[in-house]
Amino acid sequence: MLRIRNLKCYYGKIMALKGVSLHIGQGELVTLIGTNGSGKSTLLQAICGLMNHWDGEIRFKDASLRGFDPPAVVKAGISLVPEGRQIFPPLTVEDNLMLGAYTRLRRGERQAVARDLEMVSQLFPVLRERVQQLAGTLSGGEQQMLAIGRALMARPQLLVLDEPSMGLAPLVVARILETLADLRREGLTILLVEQNARAALQIADRGYVLETGRIVLEGRAADLLVDEEVKRAYLGKDYRDFDEGR
Amino acid sequence: MIHMDPQERRQLQLERLQSTLNRACRNVRFHQERFEAAGRDPAEIQRLEDLQRIGFTYRRDLGEHYPYGLFAVPLRDIVRIHTASGTTLKPAVSGYTRQDLLVWREIVARALEAGGVSPADILQITLDPGLSNWGRDYKEGAEAVGASVIPYTPLSLEKQVMVLRDYRTSVLVTTPASAGQLAMHLHLTGVQPALLGLKRLILVGEPVAAGLRAELEARLQVETWQHYGLSEVPGPAIGFECSRHAGLHINEDHFLPEIVDPASGEVLPEGETGELVLTTLTTRAFPLIRFRTGDRARFIPGACDCGVTLRRIAWLAERTDEMLSIRGVKVSPDQVRATIQAALGRLPGNCRFFRRVQDARHWLEVWIGIDDGLFSDEIKELQRLIQTVGSRLEEGLGVPVTVRILEGRSFAADPGDPESDRG
Repeated sequence: MLRIRNLKCYYGKIMALKGVSLHIGQGELVTLIGTNGSGKSTLLQAICGLMNHWDGEIRFKDASLRGFDPPAVVKAGISLVPEGRQIFPPLTVEDNLMLGAYTRLRRGERQAVARDLEMVSQLFPVLRERVQQLAGTLSGGEQQMLAIGRALMARPQLLVLDEPSMGLAPLVVARILETLADLRREGLTILLVEQNARAALQIADRGYVLETGRIVLEGRAADLLVDEEVKRAYLGKDYRDFDEGR
Repeated sequence: MIHMDPQERRQLQLERLQSTLNRACRNVRFHQERFEAAGRDPAEIQRLEDLQRIGFTYRRDLGEHYPYGLFAVPLRDIVRIHTASGTTLKPAVSGYTRQDLLVWREIVARALEAGGVSPADILQITLDPGLSNWGRDYKEGAEAVGASVIPYTPLSLEKQVMVLRDYRTSVLVTTPASAGQLAMHLHLTGVQPALLGLKRLILVGEPVAAGLRAELEARLQVETWQHYGLSEVPGPAIGFECSRHAGLHINEDHFLPEIVDPASGEVLPEGETGELVLTTLTTRAFPLIRFRTGDRARFIPGACDCGVTLRRIAWLAERTDEMLSIRGVKVSPDQVRATIQAALGRLPGNCRFFRRVQDARHWLEVWIGIDDGLFSDEIKELQRLIQTVGSRLEEGLGVPVTVRILEGRSFAADPGDPESDRG
């Protein structure tokens, strides 16, 4: 569904992505793991039309995304749940959700949007309870749910999430990732960028490990989860010397 | 994976190639220096074809970085260390992570399943000591399929036949040379192949000539499948035959094959015969980048009607390098010379060696011309000499060896054998 080849992104003269290739098949949940500054968010920004300059190839459903601005990317079927949620605090929960369906409402898909609003409410019952509450008064976890709900309101074919677990309590993280796994089971294609590598790999089909702008590993999520190098670098195990006493 | 659309596979191969190069350059000085010397960065490899810009890895590189110089992961991630004979006295050492072993198990299982091996089978592994590493890989692959495995153990021919008959072996993994010897033995001892449970031969180690193959199938009343592998490094079943027996499918999700002109190193147009060059795509501990296999092969164009979309090669007799293949084991002339030199303290002025075949037996024969330095009027001394050289070679190479000490005139004689004459 999404195919990236040799993606290079620059911030001025600094190359943040140094030739990244990856793909996401229809219905897959793929996770991208890496430390801070490895280039994960840059990659998502390039996909979502938020980077002005990139080299290489990004193709979605066999068409290039070159030159697409963010609304065009959304229209093509890709929705981003940005890092830090970025909901609109002074608006109600309902208005936030309806904003996610903005392009569809303009196309006159009122009934379909209403159905999706119901679907999102079922997915996150807490949002239904607070539908008239101002978004700024929600807890962090609820705001994250709102951000995901808003992205779903665009009825995406590919849902892209940037660090959805950031700043949330473990139980809330589990609840959110569980929802992603449910969405994946229902057939949604998902690209998940996460610092919480273990949690992400547990629900993903495949994963890529990004390190200083390069992919150094790819494979089935179950394999990466037991990989010694991944464990050391991303799953909270220490890293000692190369030969370490041998 | 074996039915993957070729377009999708190319994307997967590119991703895996790029991450392999990134890891190799980050962790292995040898690979890093080759990129630096060429003034290149892994990011420049943007298409599979761009790999042609990178230099080759040769067998001698493995010996030069003995033992762990080419490992790409810390030693504590290594769960198995394999040793195989190299091109010098120093063997080729390769390592495997837990993950690598799982991948190999899948690769071997896939190849066996393509040959119809199932949980109903009793699979016996009969290889020479020089291929004992493969014995372990085949054991694990066959266990993954669910077959009952009789693992590799060095046994006399008589014992092998006893196991074959009494245990009702249905699949035998062996080399064409050993299979030929077995067929001959059964014939001489009057054992009726029809009375055995043997149904399939998996032939490994060296390409089998069409004539020998037909003969084996007729004499043993079996169907045969060929597997292609590397004995020094990663392992067996890199290529395998499907039910159509029309070439060997390469496991392209794990290896990137190229066919190059052995002299110039240029990649050849599809269908032309040259040397097979392999790059690993999933190996973690011991990545190989453009490894010159020395095996002669050509790509078979077009799709196979078995439905498997992995590209096929025809594996051809004779090598593009000077290695001798003895019972599937690659024997380097340099290593033979170095071993003789180490055993005698010097390399005799007159020294030749050949692959010999007689009555379906294959062995390495070494002729040493007697000179003043070696001469002794005591037979015992000469016998000791023969034994020292012979046992050192057998230990180092893992194949049968015969050593003969000859006088000047006999030494110069024609060995009277159509097989390779080297040394």
